[in-house]
Amino acid sequence: MYKRSGADAQVGKSLVSMLDGCQHRGPDSTGFALYHDAKQGELRLRFFVGEGPHADMKVEEIKTHLADHNANILSDERAGTSYSVVVHFEGDVQKFSYDMEHTAKVFSIGESLDIIKDTGGAHDVDDAYHVRDFHGTHGIGHVRLATESDVTPDASHPFWATGFTDIAIVHNGQITNYYKMRRRLEKRGFAFNTSNDSELIAVYLADKLSQGRTLHQALAQSIEDLDGTFSFLVSTKDEIGFAKDRLAAKPMVMYETDDLIAIASEEVSLNRLFPGQALNTTEPPPGTYRTWRRSI
Amino acid sequence: MATLDLAQLSVRDANERLRALGAAGEDVDLINPDARHHIGVGLTHPIKVRIRGSAGYFCAGLTDGPRFEVEANVGWGLADNMLKGSIVVNGNASAIAAVAIRGAEVVVKGNIGSRAGQVMKEGTLLCCGNANFMAGYMMYGGRIVILGNSGEQVGQDMTGGSIYVAGKVQSLGTDAQLIDLPHDEADDIAQFLDRYGIPFKGTLQKIVNAGKKLRYPRTEPRTRQVPFFMASGAVSGYWNTKVQEDIFIRSQIGRYRIRGYGASRALPHLSDIGFRKNVTGVQHDRDVVNKVKLATEIGGRTGAVPIKLSMPVTIAPMSYGALSKSTKVALAIASKLSGVSENTGEGGMSDEQRAAADQIIYQCLSGRLGWNIHDMRRANGIEIYISQGAKPGLGGQLMAKKVTKEIARIRGIPAGIDLRSPSRHPDVLGADDLVIKVEEFREATGYRIPVSVKLGAGRVRDDIKIAYKDGFDFVELDGLQGSTGAASHEVLEYVGIPTLSAIQEAMDALGELDATGAAIRNMPIVLMGGVKDGVDVAKALALGAYAVALGTGAIIAGGCIACLQCHVGSCVVGIATQDPEHEKRYNVPVEAQNIHRYLESVRWQLAAVTRALGHDDVHQLSRDDLVALTPEAAAITRLPYVPAAREQAPQRTTFRKAS
Repeated sequence: MYKRSGADAQVGKSLVSMLDGCQHRGPDSTGFALYHDAKQGELRLRFFVGEGPHADMKVEEIKTHLADHNANILSDERAGTSYSVVVHFEGDVQKFSYDMEHTAKVFSIGESLDIIKDTGGAHDVDDAYHVRDFHGTHGIGHVRLATESDVTPDASHPFWATGFTDIAIVHNGQITNYYKMRRRLEKRGFAFNTSNDSELIAVYLADKLSQGRTLHQALAQSIEDLDGTFSFLVSTKDEIGFAKDRLAAKPMVMYETDDLIAIASEEVSLNRLFPGQALNTTEPPPGTYRTWRRSI
Repeated sequence: MATLDLAQLSVRDANERLRALGAAGEDVDLINPDARHHIGVGLTHPIKVRIRGSAGYFCAGLTDGPRFEVEANVGWGLADNMLKGSIVVNGNASAIAAVAIRGAEVVVKGNIGSRAGQVMKEGTLLCCGNANFMAGYMMYGGRIVILGNSGEQVGQDMTGGSIYVAGKVQSLGTDAQLIDLPHDEADDIAQFLDRYGIPFKGTLQKIVNAGKKLRYPRTEPRTRQVPFFMASGAVSGYWNTKVQEDIFIRSQIGRYRIRGYGASRALPHLSDIGFRKNVTGVQHDRDVVNKVKLATEIGGRTGAVPIKLSMPVTIAPMSYGALSKSTKVALAIASKLSGVSENTGEGGMSDEQRAAADQIIYQCLSGRLGWNIHDMRRANGIEIYISQGAKPGLGGQLMAKKVTKEIARIRGIPAGIDLRSPSRHPDVLGADDLVIKVEEFREATGYRIPVSVKLGAGRVRDDIKIAYKDGFDFVELDGLQGSTGAASHEVLEYVGIPTLSAIQEAMDALGELDATGAAIRNMPIVLMGGVKDGVDVAKALALGAYAVALGTGAIIAGGCIACLQCHVGSCVVGIATQDPEHEKRYNVPVEAQNIHRYLESVRWQLAAVTRALGHDDVHQLSRDDLVALTPEAAAITRLPYVPAAREQAPQRTTFRKAS
């Protein structure tokens, strides 16, 4: 996150280069959560449609269903395996997103959030989606080595907090009380679109936020509620934050100046932003969390 | 003084240059490190290396002798397994600094991350700032000096060594205690600090092992032995002599039992697979081994020198420690005579074993017992053990009677403890960490030695895919029927996945990765876990394994009576013992010949079956040659269920009770 007011930094380029720096940790897929300027009454949606004639049909279906929900398309674009669209929409976003999920896999919905993710390395995804051209204040990214679920774009990180606008997460680790937590949230009417534990963290945090907690409070509670090994980053329209489990099994290192906060699994990624410099980095202790808010 | 610029050179090239400069005795300045991993790995010359910036993971790992200085920070696994030599870090060190060191001096002027000094054996880790969570976790020896605060759970499950803390002891770990600091030790530390120019005026508190968990409180009473063959297979189903014995002993000790060998209960196995053709006619051809191509190679996937096998058979990993040195030497001799490979197992490589074997695979386990750069370099293959079929997810056990002075020396641990190896590696807590670990091994050995992974069958499908992506040259896949020198009865019987399911899932996983079969060809599977003869080998190969490993069979050929008392340490035939009086009973040249002849019988059986099935190369064996003899085996393997083929099977099956 670039902290200065009105920052128009090369967030896309920085993320591509940081992820390339730790690509050895995840050769399967790469993803980005980017935050555009929000406009009143507009929503950004990105769908996974795949490729070929089947994808063309999928896009037509999406258009029809958007019209059914009175979401008027302002602009749209096909890139890689996804279809992104900006619509004018006023209504219940959670219900809208659950409905749209029946049409196609939704990567993200938000006033400013756009999640781009696909199989391949950071540069492959950048080539297909031109992530490097993105300017803004903040974003998060992830490279994935699939361990339990498939190598597909929709099983990649970042994960959107299904049904809650503008909340995204990247996660390294394993939530061992996944089913227990998921059942609790499902009983309260939340839907899950994957069997990935990282989606659970996103929905869990979004639920806390929608109940009026701050991100800071939600992260504090997450360390109590989630079992297992985790280091995760969460981002919203205006904030980013991290939480780290008590066992400190997963790495995390950060570098902060007056202008920027950069967090990565390894210092080698941070050094990509500052080649040739010895950085004064810190490692968050186990069981800790923190948040940063951009200047508006 | 030479300068190496990492903005120009890859770490791999820089490390090659470092080794050459080391051999020439020239000091090195390394610029633009930018926190890259594996800097200085595998350096074994006493030169001085200055790193002008931050280093990444495993900085100075697997080294002996050099003196490093790092201007800023280092990542995970600083000085991993460093023998002699030193490293001074001016910034902070991340998790597991000084992991598994065996003599090195590691000085960190800033803070250290979690689990510093995990499984360290000898040497000093000095942290001038604060330590984090679980410093000294499972340390076996040496000392950790922390001038700041200790962090939580300091000394968690430490076995030996000492931790000194000048700041606040935030909380003590399990089985750790605070004691008074002897004067001579205070002087020693003062001298050490002085040598590195660290000013210090405070006082130190000392933390050592509290001695509550080093031994099992009650040992198992001796009873009349019930050999494995009387308690396994179809007879093991319900009440039997062994069940009675187990209940009796548990009634005396009030805990789980430990025993040797593997699962005794009946499971679907290779004996439930038959051949499509009648193979009984071939036995009259005495010269069949010359008519079938048996020789093969494993380990060339990434350009390392492959292991050459005269037939697709290896000796399974079994440790010096669990087994006597005589037994390890006999296995090594037999492996050479039969042109196959030997494997060190957990406890390190003895000179005698190295000398006797032609090709030897060197195993790296969680406790890093007997692990070092010099033995890595004289190995023909490296194997990182994640788990084993007999006890997936658990570490090894070596009871006190076998932890003699000699075994303790080679492993770097205190003698006379009930050794329980850690269940996981200090530096491999996920598939992503494993990638970096494998790369460290390759750097240390100049990419010349194949690196493999040993997997106890668990979630095979996922694990095999991870192994493939992590770039292993081959996989040793071990099923539930695999034996061990010591494990709890419950785990042996009920934890794990049968060998038959394991190979099928592995093939499915590799097939899913690449439908053309390229993944199967690229990463050979060495199957083990109850493979007992050449007929089983043929079936394993036809199911997709590229080679097999024989452990129990080789031990039995070399005189084992399968009494299940491997863990006790007083093996009557001198195999599973470290007692010199017992070991004397083991006649190395005779048993080496016995094991060799057994291996040759395996060769003949394999050739005969292959030939009978109409092939002239063992790698032509395929699923088309097989049928399932039981519905269970058919369900597992998706082979056609042909019970009639049982009549022409070369041996009786054990899964169905014989009537």
